[in-house]
Amino acid sequence: MSTHGLPPAGDGGLSLALAIVAASPGPLLLMDSELRIVAASAAFLRDFGIDPLTVAGSALSSLGDGEWRSPQLRSLLAATLSGAAAIEAYEMDLSRPGLPTRQLIIHAQRLDDVDDEILRLLVAVTDVTEARADAEAREEAQRRNLVMLQEVRHRVANSLQIIASVLLQTARKTGSDETRSHLKDAHNRVMSIAALERQLAGSGEGQVELRAYFTSLCDSIGASMIADHDQISLIVTGERGSVDARISVSLGLIVTELVINALKHAFPDRRQGRITVACEFQGPNWVLAVVDNGVGMPTDKATLQTGLGTNIVLALAKQLHAQVEITSAAPGTRVTVSHDRVGLVEERGADAADGAAAGRHTASGK
Amino acid sequence: MSPMIPANLLIVEDEVLAAMALRDELEDAGYTVMDLTSRHQEALSAVAAAKPDLALVNIQLQGRDDGIELARQLHAVGVPVVFISGQVSRARSAQTYAIGSMPKPYSVADMVLAVAYLLAHLRGATMPPRPAQLEVFDAAPASPVAD
Repeated sequence: MSTHGLPPAGDGGLSLALAIVAASPGPLLLMDSELRIVAASAAFLRDFGIDPLTVAGSALSSLGDGEWRSPQLRSLLAATLSGAAAIEAYEMDLSRPGLPTRQLIIHAQRLDDVDDEILRLLVAVTDVTEARADAEAREEAQRRNLVMLQEVRHRVANSLQIIASVLLQTARKTGSDETRSHLKDAHNRVMSIAALERQLAGSGEGQVELRAYFTSLCDSIGASMIADHDQISLIVTGERGSVDARISVSLGLIVTELVINALKHAFPDRRQGRITVACEFQGPNWVLAVVDNGVGMPTDKATLQTGLGTNIVLALAKQLHAQVEITSAAPGTRVTVSHDRVGLVEERGADAADGAAAGRHTASGK
Repeated sequence: MSPMIPANLLIVEDEVLAAMALRDELEDAGYTVMDLTSRHQEALSAVAAAKPDLALVNIQLQGRDDGIELARQLHAVGVPVVFISGQVSRARSAQTYAIGSMPKPYSVADMVLAVAYLLAHLRGATMPPRPAQLEVFDAAPASPVAD
């Protein structure tokens, strides 16, 4: 590293300034009170192709082929020298014959020498051409990825629509009430994932806001399964909170199963009632509750442990390392699915010790 | 519940299974659904023969036909359009030509509610609850425009 065109170091302030220029790894200029160059760092000369012999005593505008000639820059440097302004980040394009234009950011700092009342300017030049190009390339890549993601989501939406349509058409044509019921349940499961897709498409992120998702989901289930909304109401309450998309898929399917279950069994003989879906959050932990005020759960164990819906709930809860608890809501039934991350760590430790299967806290379903 | 408003509906959808499920559900709800169409020109011919009260138009149609261009032409002849497409941002960009958008994947039961809501909106009748997924555009309902 060296400086060029150095005058003899006659005073401490100048010596210090020259040392800074000499040590600078980046392009740096020292200018006098007439805005003539006192010294330039080696990086300045190298990066901008300036002949070292032409530097000392020159105005910035006379460097090279005149590419540094900028009345605005000169005015700003003069204003900085006088103390009327400061150049924090002046941007300019440096155009040289036969070379690509460089994008520069210029910063100037006035140096006051108290002893001899001489004013000088320290001018730092940063070439941001590559950094800007990299940032633009990253933004372009992000834009492309977003377009591809939207295309994938569009295709997924179309596919889910076709699957749901096939299930519904098949349900219409079957003569068996039981088969029709199973097919409609399957249709609702597909629509549960479809509602999630809509939620993800709207958020543009990998996180899903559960209350909005459950509201959309329950709207869909209610539209297809509740004939009389004055008889049964399906509402979503609780706090707003977001979870990872992978978790929300399972939670959406659990809500679907529990709501279908309540709609089918909790309100026989056109009994009036209400189903409430709520989710609460405590840090990384959450508790999902589906509560109905219907006739209550069956008491015999065989009935409790059968059914595809119950198996799906238990399997998904196990996958989420969550616990299922079924209690009486007097009247009706309360099913809670709770995830406690701290408990999970303890459970893993216990599992390692005794080899017990994961999900042993999971209770039987309805 | 608001009384059901009788209406003639046109479905323009390139996925025939989705179109069939939608048609059956709308017919069960009491609407008349015209022959299913999946192409731009088919839809215009159908409209020339019998003008629907509402057209449900997918944005991606068969043979690279574009539902937005179709919506523009339907709007010009006074046919209200609701987009039924997963391309939500494209649907929003064309809201001058449509009165609403029901994004895929939708449940057909929700779509029946959406149709009831939009028909009531068009006719100034008491509107039933709006399905959460239905986006209603601010544009005034389409009215016939002289060529």
